[in-house]
Amino acid sequence: MAENPETDDTIETTKQNQSEEEVEHSDEQKQEDELRSLLLSDIGDLPLSPPSATQVNFVSYFITDFTKPGHDQYIYRHANGLCVIGLAPTHIAFKDEGGITNIDFNVGKSDRSVLKVSGKRKKNAMRSESNTALCKVSTAKDSYIVRCCVKGSLLEVNERLIKQPQLLNSSADREGYIAIIMPTRPADWTKNKESLITLEEYKAKKEVSL
Amino acid sequence: MADETKPASGDSAGLSNGLVSHGDHKSRRVYQAARSLHSGAVKDLLSLGVCERCIFRLVSVEAFDSDLSSVSASTLRSWLESGDEEAASSEESSCCIVCLGVLQFVFSDAKQTLVRSECGSDYAARVTDLVKEEGHEFDSFGLEVYVPATILENERAVLLYLKGKYNSESWLQSEKISVKDALKVLVLDPLKVSLGAKSDSSSFQIRLTYSKASDEAQGASETTRERKKRKTDEENGSTSMSENSFEKVYEPCILSIHCNKMPIFFSGRYFKYSRNVSQTRWIIDDERMGEASVEVVHLELIGGNILPACLGDSYKFHAAGREDIDVRMLGSGRPFLIEVQNSRKCPSQQSLTEIEEKINKSEKKLVGVKDLKFIGSQCWAMMREGEAEKQKQYAAIVWIARPVEEKDIDSISSLKELKILQKTPVRVLHRRSPLERERTIHWMKVEKIKGSSHYFLLHLCTQAGTYIKEFVHGDLGRTTPSMGSILGCRAEIIQLDVTDVKMGDS
Repeated sequence: MAENPETDDTIETTKQNQSEEEVEHSDEQKQEDELRSLLLSDIGDLPLSPPSATQVNFVSYFITDFTKPGHDQYIYRHANGLCVIGLAPTHIAFKDEGGITNIDFNVGKSDRSVLKVSGKRKKNAMRSESNTALCKVSTAKDSYIVRCCVKGSLLEVNERLIKQPQLLNSSADREGYIAIIMPTRPADWTKNKESLITLEEYKAKKEVSL
Repeated sequence: MADETKPASGDSAGLSNGLVSHGDHKSRRVYQAARSLHSGAVKDLLSLGVCERCIFRLVSVEAFDSDLSSVSASTLRSWLESGDEEAASSEESSCCIVCLGVLQFVFSDAKQTLVRSECGSDYAARVTDLVKEEGHEFDSFGLEVYVPATILENERAVLLYLKGKYNSESWLQSEKISVKDALKVLVLDPLKVSLGAKSDSSSFQIRLTYSKASDEAQGASETTRERKKRKTDEENGSTSMSENSFEKVYEPCILSIHCNKMPIFFSGRYFKYSRNVSQTRWIIDDERMGEASVEVVHLELIGGNILPACLGDSYKFHAAGREDIDVRMLGSGRPFLIEVQNSRKCPSQQSLTEIEEKINKSEKKLVGVKDLKFIGSQCWAMMREGEAEKQKQYAAIVWIARPVEEKDIDSISSLKELKILQKTPVRVLHRRSPLERERTIHWMKVEKIKGSSHYFLLHLCTQAGTYIKEFVHGDLGRTTPSMGSILGCRAEIIQLDVTDVKMGDS
């Protein structure tokens, strides 16, 4: 049964008699206090702004001017090898007035947003090369092709973007991610990595403070 | 029976006299059975080198029973031989060509010493000594016997020969008890006496394994020519025992004894106090794939203390679910089972309590245990109770991008039975199916943390299988709603602890 642990002023009487309930309750209270002190014991200094989940769990890589000038993308690689692909803050599309207004996954030979990848072995995933087209983002002015940057299997595209393209403008590095790709072989990733740059190098190159 | 009358050599009259004065009705039965066997067959088999008890097995019409156990081989032999033959004592010591010494109660032990026993109880005493060396405590046992395949082959050859010669005889038609079963018949009762235990198909097995002494040395396999000859013999029935159709073994078998007790189980709940996060974990070297293993080395403390108390061979640790390596298990503790293989003794509840205290008082305080006890066959049902339908309770320290307000506390606490949709988290997506799972957050409670306006303690009770970390930080928007979407700002999870694993009994 789910119980809501209230603080000591509210006791819910059930079928048990009053005195049993009280003894149990003070035991419970003691246990709760012990638990609370344990819970907070590890904190130490809580930083004002802790690292984000992305920063803790992923290593950030970037690729700049990929196939065309201004086409800057990020590749966040998780410890398990999966790569999250998205638009880097300096992508040329963000410079257009009004930002990105539309995204279309129907590029190349198939619509990437209708993939049905299933099972642990990721059946039916589309195989991608680094320059395989992923989607097309459009602004009032122009449209730009976004590419995979990573050789592997396309596990997922962020179909939320279709209805909410503004996520790309507001949080391209989180909810506005574009796709998740799984490199098929470690050797593929090692080769891929050669064309990528680290966060530090990216910052230096673009002279941007992130 | 040690006082069994030995036959006076060459004097048949003395035999029956000796019997009349000392015998009980068992030996008399055996004597009468011996005298009633087909004398021609008996003579043939004796001259071939078949032992007395095997002759009984193969030639007797009556069932082979335990009465034979107390009669020594030499006495049996004298009863089998017809009056005008000498007791061929010189042949006593040769190995039976069929049972290779097994039914003669002769074997080589581990030190390659030849061990002979006159009767079943003597043999049982030798076996008992060896069993006692293994150190098990038991009050009942099951007996298993393994013998070399050669025995079966040689027996087949002998039976073939008998069929060829005495085809029509009635005693040949009955089913013959195997050497393996015959040994069990002979020694089971004496073993029960000398071990002081009952016999049943119990959790404790004594295995007697006979193996050929010179397995490697001798050419154990037939040549093709021999096999062909054996096949034609089988079809025609041979009137002579050809040397090629069976394997002549000169030495008695080696006997090895192995005792095995079925696994026993202990249950309890464990606590994990260590939060094994290394700051360097996320510096990725590209060879290392997959997240840190959830194997908790510290939990070996529990099994590692129970195993010596049981004098077991090894143990396995089973837990009702598991937590990530950076998550502590507090509160009620998580149910677990320890399975011990081949335990020699079962520790008392007192010793278990002492083990529990020892673990809980240990200096390092990595792991804790409660309710450690012995558990019987209901253990697996108990574990399954921790499965999918049950609820789990957690406490998380959460950070948000703006200061926590009273309205936040209220809005979160007011959410009951909140349904969320979670896509397979990125951190496990490499090894799990990409699915969208609906889960329920039953209730939540927020506690402010003194001195930190951006942090709070979040208590939550959720359906089993809910990814808590992803519910807090949103997993790139793949878990909705999330703490961040509910509060309208970025949220991060700093630490997570499990505070309750609900089972049927709590």
